[in-house]
Amino acid sequence: MVTMSAGIVDRFSLQLTFVLFLSVVVVTLFMALLTAPQRDEISEFYLGNRTMSPLRNGLAMCGDYLSAATLLGSTGLVALNGYDGLLYLGGTVVAWMMVLLLIAEPLRRAGRFTLGDTLALRLTRLQRPARLALAVCTLVITTLYLVAQLVGSIALLTQFTGEPGAATRTLCVIVIGTVVIVYAAIGGAPGATVIQIIKAVMLIAGVTVTAVMVLNHYDWNPNALLSAAANHSGTGTQFLEPGLRYGVSTTSKIDFFSLELAIVLGLAALPHVLMRLLAPRKVDVLRSSVVWAVGLVGLVCLAAGVLGLGATAVVGRDTIANTDHKGDSAVLLLANALGGGILTALLSCLAFVTLLAVAAGLTLAAATSLAHDLYGEVIRKGRASETEELMVARLSAVVIGVLAMMLALVSWGANTATLAFLAFAIAASAILPTIVYTLFWRRFTGQGALLSLWGGLACSVLLVLFSPVVSSTPGSFYPESDFAWFPLQNPGIVSIPAGFLLGWLGTVLSERRHPQEDAAYADFEVRMLVGAKE
Amino acid sequence: MPEFSPWHDNSLTYGSQNNAPAPPKRISEDPEFHSLRRAQRRFGVRATLLSVGGFLLYVLLSHSVPGLMNQRLAGEFTLGLALGLGQFVVMGVTAWCYVRHMRTRVDPLARGLGSRMHQQEAGSRAAAPHDGSRGYPTW
Repeated sequence: MVTMSAGIVDRFSLQLTFVLFLSVVVVTLFMALLTAPQRDEISEFYLGNRTMSPLRNGLAMCGDYLSAATLLGSTGLVALNGYDGLLYLGGTVVAWMMVLLLIAEPLRRAGRFTLGDTLALRLTRLQRPARLALAVCTLVITTLYLVAQLVGSIALLTQFTGEPGAATRTLCVIVIGTVVIVYAAIGGAPGATVIQIIKAVMLIAGVTVTAVMVLNHYDWNPNALLSAAANHSGTGTQFLEPGLRYGVSTTSKIDFFSLELAIVLGLAALPHVLMRLLAPRKVDVLRSSVVWAVGLVGLVCLAAGVLGLGATAVVGRDTIANTDHKGDSAVLLLANALGGGILTALLSCLAFVTLLAVAAGLTLAAATSLAHDLYGEVIRKGRASETEELMVARLSAVVIGVLAMMLALVSWGANTATLAFLAFAIAASAILPTIVYTLFWRRFTGQGALLSLWGGLACSVLLVLFSPVVSSTPGSFYPESDFAWFPLQNPGIVSIPAGFLLGWLGTVLSERRHPQEDAAYADFEVRMLVGAKE
Repeated sequence: MPEFSPWHDNSLTYGSQNNAPAPPKRISEDPEFHSLRRAQRRFGVRATLLSVGGFLLYVLLSHSVPGLMNQRLAGEFTLGLALGLGQFVVMGVTAWCYVRHMRTRVDPLARGLGSRMHQQEAGSRAAAPHDGSRGYPTW
């Protein structure tokens, strides 16, 4: 919940932030319009420029992945919880290893625009129901994540003006949402890529510079930083030991592991990251891109760790917790203490641009799935022309944007990080099993795909519904009622195995295999390992 | 290598395994193809287990044996913090090994099979008109 009496930022920074943000938005909007697809081609709208260099692709991947939740939320968690917060950042980086080592290259070789296309390549039956299930899962994940970004914009606004009134909230969400819709609907993938790269460069530069300032403040002595953080945390050396947040009980330890599992496994199944993986035309470019992304995400996460520790060391844990009990204000407080109004304004602008860019990528992924899987293949059964499909994609972007804006206005007090982590958990339990089985299991069938998609989705959503996120604790949506029989905040530890189990069960229980299916998988495997017949 | 036009991909047909040409089937029975699959998959699975499993183990250990993780190494640095930094090193090394493994062990095999597949396809395409398609005059 957002509880703040007054803003932490003075008038000068507020105006500077506004001017900076406005200029970035104007520039990127122009660039999005300039680079927007010129012709009515779905390939260009969905995937953008397919011949970008590995560095730019890596920047775009990094931009897609690191949201405002990482910049503000994770640093805040480090500032408040020390060691336990640092573990989050580790998980954020490790997730890329799975993408690099197992998913990226086979998926690129066997993929086209969406995961549905990959699935359709190897399933001989039940292609359309599987696409429908995939589209629904994609829609749920992207909407949840999109709402998290928009809610984050309100939380960020709170840092400036204190608790915003209903009119300010609505205005903020509508402005951000509209800009996002314009990026996605008009700019398509080229437009979204432009803002993604700009945002990634800003993020990496901003976070690194601030981290350098923190280290410089402590004469480049990490030990001094650590002991200052421990001294100002109010908890002494416990701050640098595990268990400050999650060591209270066995339940909370399991909860934390569940969350880490969802983060580490969920990334490979996030729809907008998957689309980004399909963009490079050549596989070796994709490989270098993902390696770049690992390095860049690692750098940002290391710097974010330094920022979090620095915030506690310089500002003090009490001040951070009193300003915002989730810790979202840690970075801005630190910037204010180190660099005054100008650095604060730069970092706040960075946070706004970050959530704008992630939201644009998400809207595009949702629109792609709706237009390509749902409209093109399920409703029109593959008979839609490219112009028609493109029209639907642009309209879907608008519809999803508006839907997310309305949901964000309804649930504006929700915790950004919680929403984002739920999206990760659903992705890991519903989509990841299907990806892994599709790529690596010869016997996998349409029934298995359907069962793991619908089952994983239902399992994770139901568990969340009956968890402390929705009821029974002061921080939940319905604090007054109590129907939370599932004790964990994050369903991952149950729903991810359930998704895999259901996929296996559906496959084992389906009818006897046709030789046709084996042939389809043999073709698919050749395509996945050797490449498509160009 | 020349760039392809952006609309090139759209000509690919999906979900039409029934009328897909036969040659890939032969490739998939090739022993070289099997060793390609083994080379790629074995390394991928092992490296994933090492880096992702290692990290999850580290998280578990942090909360189950805090006494061990809280051992001071130097100044405020505990074993847990050092292992956390070590995760980044493990990731870097794994990524480097992966790139090297793919370049030396996997890519040459894939390239060889790919070019053979092209030849087969070209061969079957050249042979096709003789089989009775009347659209193209043979000369």
